[in-house]
Amino acid sequence: MKRSVIVTAIALAATIPLAVNAADDEPVLPPYVPAYEPQSVDERGMWMMADEQEKLMALSELRIDDEELNAYVERVLCDTVGKDRCTGVRVHILNIPAFNATMSPNGAMTVWSGLLLRVRSEAQLAAVLGHEFAHFEMRHSLKGFEQRRSASDAWSWLAVLGGIAQVNTGDAQVSLVGSIFQFNRGQETEADLLGLKYLAQSPYPSRAASEVWQQLMEEADATDFGRKLKRRESYRAGFFDTHPTSLSRADYLLDQALAYNDSGDPRDDEHYAAIKKHLPKFLSDQVKLNDFNGTEYILSGIAGTTGWTGELLHARAELFAARGNPRDLITSTTLYLQAMEAGYRPPETLRGLGLSLVKSGKRSEGAKYLEDYLAAAPEAPDAAIIKMYVPK
Amino acid sequence: MLRHITAALTALTLLSFPAAAHKVIEPGLNNNIVKGVFSAKPESRWNRLQQRDGNFQEVWTIDGDRLNRIVFYGGVPVGQPLLRERDKKRDPLPAVTGNMLLPDIPLLLERTYRTKYGVAIMSIGKQEPATLDGRPAIAFDYTYIDPEYEVETKGEAIAALDNGKLYLVAFEAPAVYYFGRDVEKFRNLVTTLSLKG
Repeated sequence: MKRSVIVTAIALAATIPLAVNAADDEPVLPPYVPAYEPQSVDERGMWMMADEQEKLMALSELRIDDEELNAYVERVLCDTVGKDRCTGVRVHILNIPAFNATMSPNGAMTVWSGLLLRVRSEAQLAAVLGHEFAHFEMRHSLKGFEQRRSASDAWSWLAVLGGIAQVNTGDAQVSLVGSIFQFNRGQETEADLLGLKYLAQSPYPSRAASEVWQQLMEEADATDFGRKLKRRESYRAGFFDTHPTSLSRADYLLDQALAYNDSGDPRDDEHYAAIKKHLPKFLSDQVKLNDFNGTEYILSGIAGTTGWTGELLHARAELFAARGNPRDLITSTTLYLQAMEAGYRPPETLRGLGLSLVKSGKRSEGAKYLEDYLAAAPEAPDAAIIKMYVPK
Repeated sequence: MLRHITAALTALTLLSFPAAAHKVIEPGLNNNIVKGVFSAKPESRWNRLQQRDGNFQEVWTIDGDRLNRIVFYGGVPVGQPLLRERDKKRDPLPAVTGNMLLPDIPLLLERTYRTKYGVAIMSIGKQEPATLDGRPAIAFDYTYIDPEYEVETKGEAIAALDNGKLYLVAFEAPAVYYFGRDVEKFRNLVTTLSLKG
């Protein structure tokens, strides 16, 4: 049975490790080898596995098969890392409502729909793509594989030697495990810093990289607040964390961006124009995730650039309607009406408005909108059940 | 010696009759579904799974729950989710609300699957009025992509709201082969379904 491409993408992309380079103030890119081919036995094996997985990914139901959207992401990548470098990468956009992108050792990159929804400009998208490309260019997957293998070899030798010498090697084992995970963190930092160099040399401002992590922290705080959890006071990476914390990333990326002192156009309107066709679906998937405050944060973030468009008002109305407290239904009713006033009038808005009114006890008013819904979408799959709420 | 024999017999008995195990559901009346909330008269053999994902759920299968399963959600009260929450605080699931209408039920199932199982692609199909043991109900179908194996899974369900509680019975199977083969068994079972809510 076919393993999920998500698991594979994460597994391949998680194949990471290396040490941190000292940040320099000049964004000098490392030398680039065009049409790179895998060199060692390990690397050829990894590429072969990644090629197989990419074939499956191309057929995956999760893939968003839209040439225009793909061309947009590829164009942003090429504008970031340069046209010569980006030709070695194939982008696959996956319909998964979470913030993520992955990079396989053979140059297959996945970009998840939740990432496209969350970044607020081309520059922020470029920051993430540049980071992923940096993993590829620095062959992190291979180095990670070799590092983990040599660390686990050393671990088993230590256990044997410890047994012979009757010495407790427990602490040494813990240190080795720690070194594997720290290595991953180091690699992430390295990819962050190389990604930032790409950004500083691109038409985009490099400060966008820090903004991405700041927004993720704010979203996490909003989610926690909504769930009545304590705010995450400690953003320090734990022993087993494979990635630097969002706080430290936001911090060192901002410091380095200030050192580069570059400028550029973040192109936020262009980003929203590029994802416009998919935005209602991305929003709908996010709204269904039962994260009220986190979703509110995302919606407000988009509205900060585009203003409260009909699509955003509709999504917000759906969010309130789904929570369904009596006060939420008043808010959802208002928001559906505002969406329609803003010129957004798909059948789903009429349906949502009608049902919110019915649930609020305003059955006859609700029935009018449900009637409009049935007129607008007579073949809707739920037409028969909605008719139950429209008096004959 | 006697003590050893007794201990051995006890161990053997425990092994032979595990306290909670999968159980064969024979054709004929079964009036103890979800602790007696539902009763039904299956025409063929099913297996009741030992594992339950919450207090309000019971799962029957023929070949394994990934291949064909009937899921009974019985008497889920307002404020409770359909399934057990992994972490009530950090990963809460959507819950039944007091003002839910029948058309809200498919969305509740979809939100639950997206939140609990990480289902990224799910769509609700035809939704029609129905009756469940004399109560107004909704019959609906849906498809989703199993996030682990990427298998297209089809579902058909019937649900009702009664006295502030949600009753939902769904049949799910891979779209290829199993759904078509077994869905009639589910449809026949639904005609015999009654609630003791």
